[in-house]
Amino acid sequence: MATETSTPDPFAVLGLEPRFDLERQALEERFRERSREVHPDRFVGAPAAARTQALISTRALNDAYQVLRHPQRRAEVLLAQHGVVIGDREVLEPAFLAEILELREELADARVAGDLATVTRLAGVMRARQRALLDQVAAQFARVAAGATDALAAIKRDLITLRYVDRYLDECDAATDDE
Amino acid sequence: MLLQISEPGESAAKAACKQRVVGIDLGTTNSLVAVVADGSPGVLGGDGGPIVPSVVSYDGPQPLVGRAAIARGERHAVDTVASVKRLMGRALGDVGAVVALSPNQLVDDAGRMVKVRFSDGAERSPVQVSAAILAELKARAEAALGGPLDGAVITVPAYFDDAQRQATRDAGRLAGLEVLRLLAEPTAAALAYGLDRGTRGTYAIYDLGGGTFDISILTLVDGVFEVRATGGDSALGGDDLDRAIVGAVIGDAGFASADAQGIRAAVAEARAAKERLTDADATAVRMVVAGRVFERTLTRAELAAIVAPLLERTAKACRRALKDAGFTAAELDGVVLVGGSTRSPVVRDFVRAQFDREPMCELDPEEVVALGAAVQADVLAGGTSDVVLLDVVPLSLGLETMGGVVEKLIVRNSTIPCGATQTFTTYADNQTGFDLHVLQGERETVEACRSLARFQLRGVPPMVAGAARVEITFQVDADGILHVAARELTSGIAAAIDVTPSYGLTDEEVERMLIESFEHAEDDLAARNLRIERVEAERILAATRAAMVSDAHLLDDDVRVATDAAIAVLEAAHAGADYLAIRAAVEALDRASKPFAERRMNLAITAAMAGKRLATVEEELSR
Repeated sequence: MATETSTPDPFAVLGLEPRFDLERQALEERFRERSREVHPDRFVGAPAAARTQALISTRALNDAYQVLRHPQRRAEVLLAQHGVVIGDREVLEPAFLAEILELREELADARVAGDLATVTRLAGVMRARQRALLDQVAAQFARVAAGATDALAAIKRDLITLRYVDRYLDECDAATDDE
Repeated sequence: MLLQISEPGESAAKAACKQRVVGIDLGTTNSLVAVVADGSPGVLGGDGGPIVPSVVSYDGPQPLVGRAAIARGERHAVDTVASVKRLMGRALGDVGAVVALSPNQLVDDAGRMVKVRFSDGAERSPVQVSAAILAELKARAEAALGGPLDGAVITVPAYFDDAQRQATRDAGRLAGLEVLRLLAEPTAAALAYGLDRGTRGTYAIYDLGGGTFDISILTLVDGVFEVRATGGDSALGGDDLDRAIVGAVIGDAGFASADAQGIRAAVAEARAAKERLTDADATAVRMVVAGRVFERTLTRAELAAIVAPLLERTAKACRRALKDAGFTAAELDGVVLVGGSTRSPVVRDFVRAQFDREPMCELDPEEVVALGAAVQADVLAGGTSDVVLLDVVPLSLGLETMGGVVEKLIVRNSTIPCGATQTFTTYADNQTGFDLHVLQGERETVEACRSLARFQLRGVPPMVAGAARVEITFQVDADGILHVAARELTSGIAAAIDVTPSYGLTDEEVERMLIESFEHAEDDLAARNLRIERVEAERILAATRAAMVSDAHLLDDDVRVATDAAIAVLEAAHAGADYLAIRAAVEALDRASKPFAERRMNLAITAAMAGKRLATVEEELSR
């Protein structure tokens, strides 16, 4: 089994205040600024050690950016900073698992039948659900900021749910790629 | 790993001395070399213009390249290789369609990169053939610039996977080039356009070359070129359009009787007909295959119908790239055309319809990639420093896990350089080794992805299942090439790693080829290697000593002892004449000083990221 190894705080790497409701534009601008400072292209004529340093700094920057621009991964980092970690064998309500299992079967059938309309419809439904869950996560983080630490458990549950949702959407993408 | 901390900006001064650097577009059909002179890029001409057809013909050990090779190919098709780029980093099983129509004899090399067998019995890898083209371009550039080259930026299709990139870099090395960077072709094109106009916005680069198709979505803001998404098909290009035309003209019966010579002539006629249809609405086509004559009139509308299925494949890649980038076609600021195939009105009409706008084609679509590569070479050589290219990994990188499922460590369109680390545990009691299988691709199953390498991690101490933990690190460098490392965390014992690249060349192979290609200059080569390793040794010794003095407080006693010992070994090796011994000693010193380097590195990153000068941070830490 694979587990993610801890990485440096991506907010710190980008010099941003840790928060869930990050402005996409602000994040992108900061990323470009930092890239301009540390990118290996700027150190080509420099000694080997400086080039290595540029490579390492840029790698750290790119990895941090990759995490922060993805809302779920950003949320997981914030959650971890509050001491709440999502493990590999987290359990969800049996009702949700049964539902997702059924939806996956429906998707698998549509995929085998080459029924793209159904795949698109299922993906649309799941995407709406993804948006709703992310809105919910944002609202809960606002509560955490206001001191309601009980919201952390709700966020954790939503993030685990989102993993299933993401996986499902990946499968939808794979099905559309079959075309 | 050593560290010399320098403030950003310092590098420009150090690289101020102007170097001879070029940009090379190593294309499927044609190759070009360009250079920046007086601030603007231009292609380097030669006999018959700037374009060197990517054709190599072997007549003994010295290959002919370009037009001379094409001429020889008319009589010696089997010994003449065209479109070798399609074979780069590919095994025989991957290139079925190419084999079917290739006049060359392609041979399997135990499932590794395909080889071409020539009539004298010699077998050469696509890397060697590509190196011959690069050597020709190098010679041309050196003649034009009046001296040896210091380095080159070579372009690759953005969609090239790891094996194809490695093969390209190996070809550069084999041609005696210092490869400064592998640059994605669409990014190069954007660079050529962007610098000319100081644009700001989001662009699609539609690049249909001789043998590859790329689509990239790029954002240009204040000198930062960020690739938002890239996609394409590394086996779809103008060659396929030509072959589709041949197929339409001669039909299945024609193919059945075709010989190598006949096919080559028919493909050439198809290409000529396609080019004639750039200006004309209809043209007469005549092909002679194995004594049979096929004649017909081809209209532009018929051409459009023939190539429609191929162009539809490009449309699919465009839709996916836009989706990945999070843009719609309407939100783009422009669509840039790149590649000789986009000269065709049929292709232009298609792009116009797909993106619902007039495509940009102010720069020559065949030269624009080489021009951009020259710009980047100039940037890297310190000519200008206000441009930063943020390229991406074109295909996800992952590992095979239980049940033939691929676990992605790095997802596609991650900005490079980048890395990822994941920990795996043993699944059986007393398991002492791991078989690791590195893959690239988007699909969930191992079979549907591309195998890049197999690793064996041995020497894991026997423990109960799940107790041993192996940390796998993927690192993608600025050329888009993957490096994989593995270590067992609980034992502290350094575990052995065997790397068997599935398609690329091992260092030994490149070395052997280098030696073969310089058969009469073996001593020169050894001397050159010795010089290179000695310089590197001196640099590392100086940097280590300086760091040990300046950052003595970060140096633990045991690390100091180990580093001192490694320094002594390196000094001894440096005095000798064995370059491999020097290289080994450099690596040993790297390992010994690693804990020290890491502490300095962490400090430096903290400093860089906090935007403070290093001294300030050190001060804070020492309080």
